[in-house]
Amino acid sequence: MADLFGMTGKIARVDLTSGTVTVIEPPEEVYRKFLGGSALGVYYLFKEGIVSPDVDPLGPDNMLQFLIGPITGAGPNARSVTVTKSAYNFISIATSGGQAAAELKFAGWDGIQIVGKASKPVYIAVIDDVVEIRDASHVWGKGVEEVELILKKEVLAETESREAMMRDADLTPEWAALRPVKRKGLGEKRLASVWSIGPGGENQVWYANVITEGARAHGRYGPGAIMGSKNLKAVVIRGTKGHKLADKAKFLELVNAIHASEKNDYFWRSYGTAGIGARSAYVEDAYPIRNWQWCAWADPQVKAIEGAFMDTASFVHKQACPNCLLKCLTTVEITSEDPLMDGTITDMPDWEAMGMVGGNLGYFEMPGKTPSDPFTGTHIDQAENLAKLQFTTALHDNYGLDFIDGGALLALLMELRQRELITPEDLDGIDLKWGDVHAVDEMLKKIVYRQGIGDVLARGTWETAKYFAEKKGNPEIMNYSMTAHRYGQPAHDVRSPADKNAMEYVTVRRPSEHTGGGGAGFKQGDWAAAIAGQNNKCATDSMVSCSFPGGHFAGKTVDLIKAATGWTDFTEEDLFNIGAREYALCRLFDIHTQGLTDPKEQWDKLVPHRWFYDPLPTGPQKGAVAYEGNPDKLFNEALPAYWKERGWTEDKGIPTLETLKALGIDDIAGEIAKQHL
Amino acid sequence: MTRVERRDKEPEPNKEPTQSGGKISRREFLGMTGTGIAGLVIGGIVGREVFPKQAAPAAAPAAAPAAAPAAAGEGEAAAVSEPKAGYTLVFDPVQCTGCMKCAVACSEKYGAYFHPEETKNTVNLEFSRIRPMRFQYVDVINNCHYCELMEWAEGSNEFPCQAVCPEDAILTVPEGEGEAGYYGMGYKWIDQEKCLGIDKCWRCAEICEDQFASGISFDPISRKAQVCSRCGGDPECVKACPEPLALQWVPVGRNGRFYAQHPTAYAELLYRKMYNKRREL
Ligand code: SF4
Ligand code: SF4
Ligand code: SF4
Ligand code: SF4
Repeated sequence: MADLFGMTGKIARVDLTSGTVTVIEPPEEVYRKFLGGSALGVYYLFKEGIVSPDVDPLGPDNMLQFLIGPITGAGPNARSVTVTKSAYNFISIATSGGQAAAELKFAGWDGIQIVGKASKPVYIAVIDDVVEIRDASHVWGKGVEEVELILKKEVLAETESREAMMRDADLTPEWAALRPVKRKGLGEKRLASVWSIGPGGENQVWYANVITEGARAHGRYGPGAIMGSKNLKAVVIRGTKGHKLADKAKFLELVNAIHASEKNDYFWRSYGTAGIGARSAYVEDAYPIRNWQWCAWADPQVKAIEGAFMDTASFVHKQACPNCLLKCLTTVEITSEDPLMDGTITDMPDWEAMGMVGGNLGYFEMPGKTPSDPFTGTHIDQAENLAKLQFTTALHDNYGLDFIDGGALLALLMELRQRELITPEDLDGIDLKWGDVHAVDEMLKKIVYRQGIGDVLARGTWETAKYFAEKKGNPEIMNYSMTAHRYGQPAHDVRSPADKNAMEYVTVRRPSEHTGGGGAGFKQGDWAAAIAGQNNKCATDSMVSCSFPGGHFAGKTVDLIKAATGWTDFTEEDLFNIGAREYALCRLFDIHTQGLTDPKEQWDKLVPHRWFYDPLPTGPQKGAVAYEGNPDKLFNEALPAYWKERGWTEDKGIPTLETLKALGIDDIAGEIAKQHL
Repeated sequence: MTRVERRDKEPEPNKEPTQSGGKISRREFLGMTGTGIAGLVIGGIVGREVFPKQAAPAAAPAAAPAAAPAAAGEGEAAAVSEPKAGYTLVFDPVQCTGCMKCAVACSEKYGAYFHPEETKNTVNLEFSRIRPMRFQYVDVINNCHYCELMEWAEGSNEFPCQAVCPEDAILTVPEGEGEAGYYGMGYKWIDQEKCLGIDKCWRCAEICEDQFASGISFDPISRKAQVCSRCGGDPECVKACPEPLALQWVPVGRNGRFYAQHPTAYAELLYRKMYNKRREL
C-alpha cells in the first residue's frame, strides 16, 4: 500500500474469546469513502455482518470499535468515537473528548475493534505496536475514576520503564549518606490514557457509557454495556510514534489559525456549555423541568443553571482536550450542608447534565413549590440545588452511565409517582419524589447493581415505561416516556420554536441525537440545507473532531483533511458524501437489525406524546407545541419530502439501489436494502 | 559533540530582575533568591560557571544545524524575542488546561533540530521536553525544574542529574556560547555524542525520578537523554501557551529543587489543595 498520511492504515482487531490480536489494513479506497471515525465504524458493522438481526448486541459476536480519524492526533479538538450495536438493538455511535484519542494515533492505530468475550475480566493495553490482553480482576467492580488512576501506572512506554541502575557510589558520599537511592528504577511518568467502564457497564446497564479522565464520556447508546458484556474493563493506550501528516507545515498553520480564532471565543472559554442554561430556559423555553412538564420557570429567578453562578459556587479548574483552546470542561468541588454530597469532586455540569439530571428531576424548586410558583429561596438554596445536580452527575459518571437516558428514566419514574400511576412499592419502597437526591442515590444503586426493580430499570427509559404500562394495564404510561426512537430525549425541546425542530430528532442518524446539525434547514423546510448540516456532522465525527468549535473550522475543514492525508483532489463534495453514506447505512442498520416491516409506524413515529399534545405552560413560548400540533404534517409530508431529498423511498425511507450505487456502498448495503424496499 | 557556537556579539542581559518593574540591586536580588542560581547572570556575572565564561568550546564549532525550523533563523528569532539569561520557568498547573500546545511547540522545535528528515512529516510529542500530564481533575506541567545540589550538605553544586552522569554529558552552556534559541545563556543541554542513551544508561532519569521529579525523557530516534534547555533563554513553550499564567518566563531566579516533585506527588498536592482531599497515586 502506498504510504498513508493522516491515518495510520492499521486497525487492531482484538478477539477476546481466542485472546488473539490481528491487524486490519483498510485499503486507501475505504478511507477515501469513509474517512475514519463514525463513518468507518458503520462501514465495518456492515462489512462484518454486525447489522444482521442474528447478532445479539450483548453476545460475543457483536463488535465494539474505538475509532479516530485523519486529523485526530496533532489536529485541533481531538475526539474519539465508539461504534457498535447497542443493547437497545439500534446503532450506537458515541464520541468523547480526552487525550486518549490522540494517544491512539500516536500508538500507530486508526482504531481498535473488539469481538468475542473474555472468560474473566481483562483490559487491553496498547503500547505502540504491542497490543496485549491483560488481567483486570484487580480493578473489576471499581468506579471509573479509581480504575483510570490504577491502570495509568501499569502502562508505560518502552523508554519510561527500566530496572534500577543507580548505586549509592554514583552519588557523592555526603549525598549518599543523607539520601541513598531507593533502587526503584524508572517508572514515574504517567502519560497513558484510559477508556474504562464503571459498575454500570460491568452489569450491562443498557445506557452504560465509556469514560475517560473521570468525566469525559462516549456517552450515549450504551457502548459501556457492550464492553461489559465482553468482560472488558478498560483500554489503556500509550503511543510514541507521533502523527504522520502529508503537509505538516500547512497542517500546523491551519491548526494555529483555528487556535487563534478559538482564543477569542469568550463564550466557550468562560463556562463551556454551562453558559447555555438560563438562556435555554428563559429565552428559548426549551429546558427540561420535571420530565418536560415545564420548560421555563414562571419566575426567572432560578440561577443555579447560569455559568457565572456555578462558577462562583463551585468551579475549580478548566480542562481542555488535546489541541483545544475552548477548554469547555470545568472541574468542580461540591460544597453542601448535606454530608451525602459535600466534598464530591466532579465536573461542571455541562448542558445536558444541567437539564437531564437537574431541572428534569425537580432539583431547583423550593419544597412544596412547583415551577409555576415564584422562587422563594436564597442564593445558598440555589447553591444547594446546584449541588444536587452536580452530585447526580458525579454518580452517573463514576458508575459509567449516560445521564441523558438516565435522567429521562428517573424523571419518568418521578412523574409516574406524581401522577400516582405507580407507587413506592413498585420501586422496592423507594419514594422517588421531585427533588429528592437521596432517593435518586438509592435508585441508582439498584439500577447499577441490578437489584430488584433495578434489573428492569437497567434497560432504560422506554423499556421501563413499557414494563409499567403492561404491569398496570395502563397504556397512558407510555405518554410520559420522553424518548424518541426508544432513547431519552436530550435537553433541548422541540415544542418551542426557538429551539429544535421536531424533524431534527425524527430524522437524525442516532436516536434522539441533539448534535445532529441542520437545525436552520429543518425550521425552514429546506431539506437540502438540513441534510448538508447532518452530513457535515458525520464528517466531524469521522475526522474525528468536536462540533463545538465548528465556527472556527469554517472554510478550513477540507484543507485540514488535505494537509493531513495528501489527497490533493479531496473536495467539499467528498466530505458531504461521507455523511450521506453514513446516514444511508445507519438508516438501513436500524431497520434491518430490528427487522422492521413498516419503519414509519414502528420506528419513526416513536416520539414523545408530549411534543404534540402538551403545550408549554410557562415562559416566552407559552402555549407552543411541536410542529404546530400537527404530527400528520410532519410524518406524512415533511418526512417523505426529506427522504426523497436523500434519495430514499418516500413510503419507508429506504435508500434506493440507485442512491446506494451513487454513493458507492451498494456492495455492502445493496442486498440488505433489497430486503426492505 | 554538542554544537557550541560563538555568537557574533555578546548578548546583553536585556532585562534587570525586577519584582514590580523597578530596578533592584544585585545584593537585594541575591538576598531574595539565594545564591548559586543556575545560569543566573546579573551585570555579566555568571552564577554557575560550569565552563569558564571565556573558555573555548570543547570541540571545534559545528556547522549550523542541517535544517533549522522556519521561525528559528537567527535574525528572525532575535527580532521576535531575545534570549534571556537568569530567567526561570514558573508553572501554574491550576491555570494549565492540558491543551498540549506547549508540547507540540517544543517537540516541533527539537524534532526538527535533531531529526529534520525523520520528522519532516511527523508531529511527535516524544521530542517535547515539557510533558503536561492529566491526573483526572488536575493537570501537572511536567518539566525539568533545574534543581541544584547543596554543596554544604551534598558535596556538589551541580544539577543532580548532571552529578550522576558518568559521561559528563549534561552541560551548562554559558551565556555567550551555544546557539541562540536552543541552548546557551546559562541553561542546560545534553551532549548527544557523549550521552550513552537509554539502552546503556539512564542514571540521570533515574536519580531525577528517585529524588526529584521526572525531567528527563529519551529521544525516540537517537535514544539519548533529552531535557529542557529553556530554549537557550527563549522558551518556545511559553510563546505557544494560550493561558497567560500557566507558563511564565520570569526573571526571578530560584533553585528549582524546592519545587521539583514527581508528577504523582504534584498531582496529589494539587488535588489536596484544589479539592481539599487526599488521593494516593
Ligand atoms: S528536575 Fe530532574 S532533570 Fe531537572 S535538574 Fe532536577 S534532577 Fe535534573
Ligand atoms: S543517560 Fe546520558 S545523560 Fe543520562 S546519565 Fe547516562 S550518559 Fe548521562
Ligand atoms: S523551554 Fe524550550 S526546551 Fe524547555 S520545555 Fe519549553 S520549549 Fe521545550
Ligand atoms: S500550553 Fe499552557 S495550558 Fe496548554 S498544556 Fe501547556 S502549559 Fe498547559
